Amino acid sequence: MYHQDSIENDYDYPYYQQDAESDVRVVIDLDFERQQQSYKMNDAVKSFITHFYRSIQNAKIFEITHDYEYGWNMLSEQYFKTTTWPSVESIESMIPNESMKSIFLILYKEMYFRHIYASLQGGPTLEHRFESYRNYVQLFNAILSAERPLDLELPIQWLWDIIDEFIYQFQSFCQYRAKQVKKGTNAPPNVVEEIQMLKQNIDVWNVHSVLNVLHSLVSKSNINKQLEVLKHATLSLTIANPSGNIDQSQFSKHQQELLMDLENDLFAQSSLYKMLGYFSLVGLLRLNSLFGDYYLAINAMQFVELDIHKQLLIARVPSCIITTCYYVGFAYLMMRRYEDAIKVFVDALIYIQRTRTMLQAPTRSLLNDMISKQNEQIFYLLTIALNFYPMRIDDSINSYLKEKYSERLLKLQRGDRDELVNMFHYACPKFLSPVPPNFEGVTDQYLMEPYNQQLKVFLDEVNQQLLISDIRSFLKLYTTLPISKLASFINKSPEELKSILLCFKHKMSNIESDQVSEEFRSSSEVDFYIHNEMVHIADTKVATRFSDFFIRQIQKTNEINTNLKMVPI
Amino acid sequence: MSRDWSQIDSMLQGIERYNPDNIPILEEYVQYQINENKYNLDANLALLKLYQFNPNHFQTLVTAHILLKALTNLPHSDFLLCKFLIDHTRMESEGLLSKIVDLSDLLERCQFREFWHLLKRDNESYKDVVSHVKGFENGIIEFILHIVSKTYQTIDFNELKEILGDLSNDELDKLIRLKSWKKQEDNFVFVANHEENIKTKNIVEKIKFEDVSSVISTTIRAQVAL
Repeated sequence: MYHQDSIENDYDYPYYQQDAESDVRVVIDLDFERQQQSYKMNDAVKSFITHFYRSIQNAKIFEITHDYEYGWNMLSEQYFKTTTWPSVESIESMIPNESMKSIFLILYKEMYFRHIYASLQGGPTLEHRFESYRNYVQLFNAILSAERPLDLELPIQWLWDIIDEFIYQFQSFCQYRAKQVKKGTNAPPNVVEEIQMLKQNIDVWNVHSVLNVLHSLVSKSNINKQLEVLKHATLSLTIANPSGNIDQSQFSKHQQELLMDLENDLFAQSSLYKMLGYFSLVGLLRLNSLFGDYYLAINAMQFVELDIHKQLLIARVPSCIITTCYYVGFAYLMMRRYEDAIKVFVDALIYIQRTRTMLQAPTRSLLNDMISKQNEQIFYLLTIALNFYPMRIDDSINSYLKEKYSERLLKLQRGDRDELVNMFHYACPKFLSPVPPNFEGVTDQYLMEPYNQQLKVFLDEVNQQLLISDIRSFLKLYTTLPISKLASFINKSPEELKSILLCFKHKMSNIESDQVSEEFRSSSEVDFYIHNEMVHIADTKVATRFSDFFIRQIQKTNEINTNLKMVPI
Repeated sequence: MSRDWSQIDSMLQGIERYNPDNIPILEEYVQYQINENKYNLDANLALLKLYQFNPNHFQTLVTAHILLKALTNLPHSDFLLCKFLIDHTRMESEGLLSKIVDLSDLLERCQFREFWHLLKRDNESYKDVVSHVKGFENGIIEFILHIVSKTYQTIDFNELKEILGDLSNDELDKLIRLKSWKKQEDNFVFVANHEENIKTKNIVEKIKFEDVSSVISTTIRAQVAL
C-alpha cells in the first residue's frame, strides 16, 4: 500500500524531484510504476492526451503546437524521464470512435517511439525498432494512399520531426543490425535469436522502402513544381511588380502550365503534403549523402533555393535549415566545390549565431545539444574547406574561427594528416552501406567500410593538392617570380613546378552554383599566370571594414536602450 | 542497331532509379556512349549506384568504361563523383580499375608527360580497353588545352607539344589555329591575355543599403516610440 500512496503523492507534488530524499525512492519505484501504468494513469497525462486529441480533431493549430512543443516535453520530463509513455492500447479507450481516431493513435505511437529512442536507457530494443517501423508504414500509407488529401493540419516543426526521425531510425537500425550480426554465433542465446529475427525480417527498414517513402511524398506533393513556380513568382514579385500581385502574364508558357497543373492538384495545395514533400527533399539530400552519392544529394535540392532567407520563407524550422546547410555544404566540399561549400557553411553559422538565444528554451535541451554539435561540426568542415581554399569570409565568423580553431587550422596548414583525419571523422555524417550485412559472417571492417570508403577518396584528393598550399604561401610574397627561382625554393625541377602550377589552377577552379551557366571561376585570395617563364602574381588586398563594427555597436546600444526602458523605476 | 535512348531519362527519375531491372539497358547505354562518343553522367552514376546497391551485379569492364568517359569530361569532377560510389577494395584489387585510377591521379595532378607515358606504355591490358573508347585522347587534349589557357599567357611551343603527348608539329599547328592562339617568332605560343583579368585587387569597403536597413528601422521605431 505504501508504494501506491507514494505514487499518488508524486503526481500531486510536481516539484518533488528536487527533493534529494525522494529521488532515491523514485528509482526503486520505477519498475513498479511501469507495471501500474497499464491500468492506472495519472490524471495530468490523461487530460493532456484528451486535450491533444481534441486540438487535432478541431484543427486548432495553435493549441496543437502548444501541446506538441510544450505539453509533451514537460510531461515527459516530469513523469517519463526514464520510462515509456502509456502504450497505445492503454489510451485507446480514452479516444472516442471518431474519424480522426486512427490517425491520432498512429501519431501518438510515433511520438511514443521517438520518446523511447531519445530517453530509454540502453536504447530501443529490436522489438521497438520493428514496431516503430510498422507504425511509420501505417502512417505513410494513410497519407499516401488517400484519394483526397487527409483533413489534417499539423505544425511544420512536427512534420519535420517525423521525416527527420524516420531517417534517424533507419540509420540507427542499420548500425544496430551490423553490430548484432557482428557478434556472430558465439554470442549469448538472446543475441543469436535476434540475429535470426533480423534475418527473417530483411524487409523491415529496407533501404528501398525508405527511399520509396521519400520519393512518393515528393511526387505526391508535387513539391518540385511548386518550388519552381515559387522561384519565378518571387522573382517577378521582387523585380517587376512591387505591388505584391503576381502578374501571370509575365510567366512563360511552361510556367503557366505548371501553375495550371498545381491549381488542379488538391494535394499540392494541402500544407500537410507540401511540407512533407519539402522535408522529404531534405531527407533525400541526407540519405544520398550517407551513401556517398553527392551528385544525387545535390540534385534533390535542385529547385530549393539555398539562401537562408528564402529557406525561411518556406519552412521556419531551425533544425531543418541547419541540416540542409550541413549536408549541402558537405556534399560541395567532397565534390571539390570549395567556394560554394564555404558560403553555405558561413551562412549556416551566422544563422545559428543569430537564432541561438531564441532556440535556448528549456524544453528544448535535446535540440540545443544537437545544434551545438552541428555548429561545431560545421566549424570543423569550414576550417577544412578554408585550408583547401583560403578566401575572405564574414568578419564575425572569421574572428570566432581564429579564436577557437586557429590551432587546428595551423596544424592543417602544416599538413598534419592525423589532425585532418580526426576533424573529418568528427565532422562527417555517419555513412551507411545500402546493402544488408552478410549474415554468415561479418568482417570487422563491415561497420567502418562506408566511412573508410569516403575517407579514402577524400584523402586521395588531399594528396593531389598537397603542394598547392606551399606554393601559395610563396606566391603571396611576390608580384613576379621566375619559374626557375620558385622551383629552387621547393626543391623541384621547373617541369615539376609547372605541373603543380597547372594543378593549382585546376583544383581552384570552382563550378558556379547556378547550374544554368556552368562557368569556371575562382575567387581565391591569390591568383597568377605564367608569361615567358615568369609567374605574375595578383594578390587581394582588403581594406578594413568599419561599417560592420559600427552597425553591431549601434544594435547593441539599441538593445540596451530597449532593455533599460523595460526596467520599472 | 540504333535504339531509342529517350527512355533512359524516365529510368533515372524518382524511385525508378533504384530498379535493378534497368541494369542491362544502362550497361548497353554505356557501350553506346563509348562507341558513339556521347556522354551522360547522370545515367552512368545511376548505374554505379545500382552496382553499389546490388554488388553481385558489378561489372569491371563497364565500370572501367564509365571511369574513362568521366576522365574525358575533366575539368569537371565526374571522376571524383564516380569514385565515391565504387567500393575502394575493388578499385585496388582489380588491375584494370587501379590502372585507370593511376591515370586519373596523374591527370588530376596535371603531370601530363607522365600521363601520356603511362597511357602509351606497351603490353598493358588496358590499352585495348582505352582504344575502344572513341574520342578518349581528344577529350584529354581538350582538358589540357583548357587548363593551359587558364594558366599561361605564353607557353613554349615544345613544352606544349610535350604535355599534349608529343603531337606532330602539323597537328599542334592545327590545334593552335582552332583555339585562335598565336605562334610567335620566339617559339612561344600566345595563349590568352591574362594581364587584364588577373590583377591585384583592392577591395574597398562598400556599404549596401541592406546592411544598414536594420539599424535604420530600429532607429525609426525608437523615434516613433518617443
